[in-house]
Amino acid sequence: MSSEEKIEKWRELEEEAREIRRREADWEFIESQNPKVRAALKFYIETGDIRLASRIADMNIEEFRELLRSAKIPVIV
Amino acid sequence: MSAEAFAIADTCFLIDWASWRHRDLLFELFKTVFVPESVIKEIRSERTVEWIANSLASGSLSLFTETPDVISLARDLVERSKLFPIRGLDLPEAICLAVGKMRNYTVITENRGALMAVDILEELSSVRVWRSLELITEGLRRGLMRGDPRVIFAEYEGDTGHRFPKRDLEVVLLELGGED
Repeated sequence: MSSEEKIEKWRELEEEAREIRRREADWEFIESQNPKVRAALKFYIETGDIRLASRIADMNIEEFRELLRSAKIPVIV
Repeated sequence: MSAEAFAIADTCFLIDWASWRHRDLLFELFKTVFVPESVIKEIRSERTVEWIANSLASGSLSLFTETPDVISLARDLVERSKLFPIRGLDLPEAICLAVGKMRNYTVITENRGALMAVDILEELSSVRVWRSLELITEGLRRGLMRGDPRVIFAEYEGDTGHRFPKRDLEVVLLELGGED
């Protein structure tokens, strides 16, 4: 498989994961959060990048992981 | 001691795995699992800290102190990963991959950026990377765990909030199907 094909494969997998996160998230919970946390959760749903999302929320990774559980956002790897 | 007896784990893996009821399976699969100092610094919750501290005390986990050559390679990997139009590596995961390459340790991660990097970067093609999916599969394959694989994977998802990619899980269940 060429590099281009691998990149395309990962893009498709990322899109699938993004759709699952969007579908399963508890949007009422997300919208009830303060602006920083709300933005971080939405960022995570779109990117799956927990480290950067936790920085946006001003939380450590573990705290943010718990928040994802509360928001019913699955971590798909 | 074969280097295959050793693994190195990143933060995303440890904080999920610590929530699983069968988390000590990890120590039946490897002689020692190293945890980089940078990863220890990211662990905060009582549950995870307690498990890690107890495992360090028993010798099942060991502290890995990053050396300048590891950090240098990790920084190179971070830069290389950013050349591609997909999610790049962060330094903590890159450190684990650098150790995997330099010491032939199995890298344990739940970070997609790390999985992508190993798939895309030629210099990492020899590095063995396992997720919880591969770890649990190996435990079942070796008979270290008993039970219906489908139930065991579902318990992991329930305990941790993790989700296995459907296709990958189906492949594994098909493989394990005849062994239970």
